[in-house]
Amino acid sequence: MAALDKRDVVVGILALQGAFAEHQAMLQKLSLKRTITVVLVRTVDDLNLCDALIIPGGESTTIGVLARVSGLLEPLRQFVRSKPVWGTCAGAILLSETIQGSKKGGQDLLGGISIAIARNGWGSQVESFEADLAVEGLQSPEQSFTGIFIRAPVVLDLSPSPEDPPIQVIARLPTNLLPQSFASLDESDSKTVVALRQGLHFLTTFHPELTQDNRFHDYFVRECVLSRET
Amino acid sequence: MATPVTTPSIQEVPQGAGTAITPSIAPARSAQREGGNSLGTFGVKSGLAQMLKGGVIMDVVNAEQARIAEEAGACAVMALERVPADIRAEGGVARMSDPQMIKEIVDAVTIPVMAKVRIGHFVEAQILQAIGVDYIDESEVLTPADDEHHINKHAFKVPFVCGARDLGEALRRISEGAAFIRSKGEAGTGNVVEAVRHSRAVMSQIRRASVMNEEELYLFAKEIQAPFHLLKETARLKRLPVVNFAAGGIATPADAALMMQLGCDGVFVGSGIFHSGDPAKRARAIVQAVTHHNNAKILAEVSENLGAAMVGLTIDPNIKGGLLAKRGN
Repeated sequence: MAALDKRDVVVGILALQGAFAEHQAMLQKLSLKRTITVVLVRTVDDLNLCDALIIPGGESTTIGVLARVSGLLEPLRQFVRSKPVWGTCAGAILLSETIQGSKKGGQDLLGGISIAIARNGWGSQVESFEADLAVEGLQSPEQSFTGIFIRAPVVLDLSPSPEDPPIQVIARLPTNLLPQSFASLDESDSKTVVALRQGLHFLTTFHPELTQDNRFHDYFVRECVLSRET
Repeated sequence: MATPVTTPSIQEVPQGAGTAITPSIAPARSAQREGGNSLGTFGVKSGLAQMLKGGVIMDVVNAEQARIAEEAGACAVMALERVPADIRAEGGVARMSDPQMIKEIVDAVTIPVMAKVRIGHFVEAQILQAIGVDYIDESEVLTPADDEHHINKHAFKVPFVCGARDLGEALRRISEGAAFIRSKGEAGTGNVVEAVRHSRAVMSQIRRASVMNEEELYLFAKEIQAPFHLLKETARLKRLPVVNFAAGGIATPADAALMMQLGCDGVFVGSGIFHSGDPAKRARAIVQAVTHHNNAKILAEVSENLGAAMVGLTIDPNIKGGLLAKRGN
């Protein structure tokens, strides 16, 4: 890794378990003015190279256990305090302050985004679904984005304390596309929020890395990572 | 006597039952749209398998073992009544597990729960879908219910994983709707040699296919009895179009890392954990070995002091319980 050019922006992908290779492929397809170097993070040394981090989908309990036994838990928590981090699905769970439906005895989180989130909030795998989302702020916002929700978490509560940065909702599930047992939710209910930003942190409860559409990766790198440099 | 005229179109077609009984009302794929969003698409089926990558799926026979597996960092558990080593030792017909037992395991853990059905037994699969398991393994470890047909897995909302010994078998299973492939290995032996053979066969055939032109691919598809379009897609991707795990005989962290270095996306461990001296410790070590499969220093650390591994068996045609990998093709 000594060959890293200092001017490169290094985006790490936490590669303990889950769909990290999919994120890597998406980042490598981005066309940006700056060179993006992608590092798969499995150790503290890997993490120390990074300017920003993506925590992929996978099993949040597994990623938590592996972070702890690999000595990454505290370094990750420190990283989250000062640098841009994007969590997808399991990654979103790890970035939340509190969770519902943790494994018995609780599980390790990183925190960073002041929300409460429910694991497997829509139900088991047979309730997993795809839904088209309208997302402001992406390139070509008139084109919908296919949200792939796999045993996805559900945002329960968005009430940051006054000292936290404000939360910006990036995308909601339209009420007509909600799973049947949630069809009565109001469109302003926090459960309909599927993508949000708070300060340096970005969260999606679905999986942009499973599509062929790299607009969310482009958004994260442009809005959360590169915007800090200029 | 005239047959009373009935309207069959109201009745829902049992999933996986094929179209022979009620030819005109087989559900189209788009009929699965409910509540405005799309449930059970191939994207969410293969997507869950992608979320399991780099992880270890462990066989468990009760809620207590499932909790040990979850604490150790398993990315999913496979609920079954007897682990393959016991099925081998005890013999008899091995079937789907008691749904009550599976539900207890579903309630005990937060990670995905898989369960096995016999090859071709689509009603066992309907039952497992109804109780809400996250993945079904149409498995040669259980006694096959149909010695010719596999389940039509496209007809289910729940995704399926199937075993394969070579590329042709893998692509036939994907063609039937499997969203996830694993090697067959020789389950319940604690002997990794067959999993290595099957994984190497798949990888080597993919490498050959990836340099073929279209005419050669047509011939190769015929040779390995694979659907041409899936073979062509595999050749283009230079990997199987779905996630590919190792399974069958993995007993140590080194076995798991071996399969990962051979190019598998993750591993199933069956009898290897709960037939060992210290299941919790061995389970955690195998989880770490999969993540750090390229780091020999970490592999050495996690392989220390694990206690006794399961007793392995030499694989020969007279092995007790027979050769399971030959079942289904």
